[in-house]
Amino acid sequence: MGNSNVSTNRMQQFKERGLKYILAPAALIILYVFFGIFGRNYFSYPTLVNIINAAFYIGFIAMGETFIIITGGIDLSVGTVMMASTLIGGVALKHGFPMVPSLILIILVGTAFGTVNGLMVSLLKMPPFIATLGTMMISMGVGSIVSNVQSATFPIRGHEGGWFKSIFLYLSPSGGMIPTGALLLLVVGVICHLMLSSTKLGRYTYAIGSNIEAARLSGVNVKKWQMMVYIISGVLAGIGGISYAAIYTTVLPAQGQGFELYAIAAAVIGGTSLAGGIGTIWGTVIGVFIMSVLATGLPSLNLQAHWQTFFTGIIVIGAVLLDMYRNKKASEVHIDTPADVYKKKESERIAELKRELVKAKSSGNSSRIAELRKQLSVLQGEIRATYSRMKAEEKAAKARIREEERKAERDFEEMLNKKNQE
Amino acid sequence: MGNNILEMKNINKYFTGVHALKDVDFSLLEGEIHALVGENGAGKSTLMKVLVGIYPKDTGMIHYLGHLFNPLNPQYALEAGIGIIHQELNMMDHLTVAQNIFINREPVRGAGLFLDKREQYRMTEELFKRLNMNIDPSELVGNLSVGKQQMVEIAKAVSHRLRVLILDEPTAALTDIEISELFTIMRDLAGRGVGMIHISHRLEEIHQITDRVTVLRDGERVGTKKTSETTRQDIINMMVGRVIYEQPKARSMVPPDSPVVLRVDKLNAGKLVRDVSFELRKGEILGFSGLIGAGRTETARAIFGADEIQSGTIEINGVPARINSPQDAVQNGIGYLSEDRKRYGLAVNLNVKDNSVMASYDQFPKGIFVDSGKISRVTGEYVDMLNIKTPSLDQLLFNLSGGNQQKVVIAKWLIKNSDILIFDEPTRGIDVGAKSEIYTLMNELAREGKSIIMISSELPEVLRMSDRIIVMCEGRITGEFNIEEATQEAIMERATIGRQAALAGS
Repeated sequence: MGNSNVSTNRMQQFKERGLKYILAPAALIILYVFFGIFGRNYFSYPTLVNIINAAFYIGFIAMGETFIIITGGIDLSVGTVMMASTLIGGVALKHGFPMVPSLILIILVGTAFGTVNGLMVSLLKMPPFIATLGTMMISMGVGSIVSNVQSATFPIRGHEGGWFKSIFLYLSPSGGMIPTGALLLLVVGVICHLMLSSTKLGRYTYAIGSNIEAARLSGVNVKKWQMMVYIISGVLAGIGGISYAAIYTTVLPAQGQGFELYAIAAAVIGGTSLAGGIGTIWGTVIGVFIMSVLATGLPSLNLQAHWQTFFTGIIVIGAVLLDMYRNKKASEVHIDTPADVYKKKESERIAELKRELVKAKSSGNSSRIAELRKQLSVLQGEIRATYSRMKAEEKAAKARIREEERKAERDFEEMLNKKNQE
Repeated sequence: MGNNILEMKNINKYFTGVHALKDVDFSLLEGEIHALVGENGAGKSTLMKVLVGIYPKDTGMIHYLGHLFNPLNPQYALEAGIGIIHQELNMMDHLTVAQNIFINREPVRGAGLFLDKREQYRMTEELFKRLNMNIDPSELVGNLSVGKQQMVEIAKAVSHRLRVLILDEPTAALTDIEISELFTIMRDLAGRGVGMIHISHRLEEIHQITDRVTVLRDGERVGTKKTSETTRQDIINMMVGRVIYEQPKARSMVPPDSPVVLRVDKLNAGKLVRDVSFELRKGEILGFSGLIGAGRTETARAIFGADEIQSGTIEINGVPARINSPQDAVQNGIGYLSEDRKRYGLAVNLNVKDNSVMASYDQFPKGIFVDSGKISRVTGEYVDMLNIKTPSLDQLLFNLSGGNQQKVVIAKWLIKNSDILIFDEPTRGIDVGAKSEIYTLMNELAREGKSIIMISSELPEVLRMSDRIIVMCEGRITGEFNIEEATQEAIMERATIGRQAALAGS
């Protein structure tokens, strides 16, 4: 430590960390701009609204999924629970339930499924994968049974109860669209973010995911907090269900399967680790929007929607690979070679000359300015030439050493083979 | 002892922010047992990992059998005849002994379509016979004791026509008998010309078994000496660069009228806690001595609610306490510092702050949120007080050394303001400097009125720290000493009285 050879470290670490936060948003923007340039009518307000609309239901369940994945668990039931809640709410509406209680019922059903998941995982100590696989199938069945395998239709705008659509998309009388749902997603996102970062629940979520035994032995009520995250996921599945009904009006019993995988994909794209202990809500939200940009952008390139799944898969794998690469990079050390040291030292001289140049400029000494400029350009050229020469030499030396080492290895192997034959 | 079989010269290795090995030289003779010692973080394991190709070296040369040697990975090194046995054993619990030994090179029959199990057992038996080991090749490795597992690992290494064997803290988890068996095998291997590198914290062993000793400090080689020409004190001095005296405590520091804070009566739990009864007084450091597997950790875990209790009562401050979970224990003011920090004490990918307040978020409310400003302030105070060396409070725990990690665990319980602290092997895997800091800290805590149960397998540590000593054997308490009358011999006698005597109630 205290070695000048490794002094660049802090800077590098900063770069790596910064990259981690910037990469996913950057990918999102790049994708958006890409479709904007190559797609038909992509840079338009209606498209933006479409992107946001396509993000909702996955957005809500992906946030709940993020909580669970950070504890080291997984929830396979979010998609089907979401649809089952919506179907049950729709059936209630059909049987004359008023709008508000129906919407509350949707959230309650989601919460109930979340509670069941939580009980199985925390009290019965079932592996989350199996427990939620069970509720995934059960909720799908319940949705079909309650709806009698019929679709549920929610009121459209202008009809009684149709106001709830405005929660997610406000249409002004003049025909303008305001994606109010984006605001709601943002609000829920902020709440979830605050819960994760600044409440006991959130801190314990990370603690449990990092080391469940250490958390337990610190007196943390692990069961309670595990329970809580599954309940949160259930509540969010309910909210997601309402948003789905608002956007698509008609809900079919067979839908919902596979949504949980998009939710998991969103979390993973956003940097959440399936091993637990690592992840953020913002990352997940970015992940969701990356997927909805793909979903809306590919059709504008005349590629059909199923291309979305194809590219989402590629992005998920890419995100994980990138994360692994970054972690590996972050643990590597860059050692300054003599060439680097030389360049650093000379750049100080240049900085000195530049300071003098500024001084000369302010005093208006024109002959001095010209002289300094000349000095500067000569020095810069010199440094460039010397640096590239030194680098080339270093590279050659490295290659030579590697070649020698290879030869040594070959010799060694030959010797071993000979010995073994004897 | 014969020729130089291994020569490492000017080895340098850098990690993020750390120059871990600085121009280190090391050599090994044929048939030599060479001790490699140093404080934690001195670079012992790093040097060995460079030797077997787990880490690539940054600069330097390795000559092996007179040739330039550039290990690419452990498999390559092993095929060349250099094997390493890690501190943590790498065995597959659900496979048999023979399968573990011959994994990846199983004997086959029927044109290579089938595994030849019988041949595998025969080869394993032959190997064990050669090494004078008595292990059943068909036993599942998970059913063996740690000592036996280690022997299997050695047998596996030896079966690769080994010239150099590296043993990284091989005795850390072994009982005395297992250690002596291990040493017999090591001497036997040395007789066959295998050079061995023995990494250990236990200085007594070094004199028992090794020919030469190399001391590393802060990534540099301090020196290499013939073991027979050095004393224990010499080695310690080389390791720390300063003189350390380990004096036993002269007398109990507990005031005679100090009240009993914890009374355990006829506690039974699992297989290794049998009718354990004892009292702990305010301000007392109560040492728990005994061999590994005596039931001390199990007793601590039962008191802490980590494992289920079958019968018995626990009173805290004279009031019967119901402890069914660690949560209950923490509510009752008990804190437990596990012997296995990484598994049970810390979340290594969380930062210093999160780990320090893991037990006490309840103390930092700010409406519905946690008061992160206050958390930073309080954690900062404890980091200063305990002298935890970390670049920032946001540093992730896996970047800290063992000693500093342990201090973070201590901070956790101090912030929680626990009155009864159970230190289970508090200095395991911690370097000498941090060790004495932790001793000072424990004494201070006791003076302030905390009551401490200290489980330790190191007798000098028990004698140095305890006001009173309880000895366990086979799950029962077999001895109790006031510090004034305790000697290493007396404690060892009680700790080894064996199963029959322990059952007879000593």
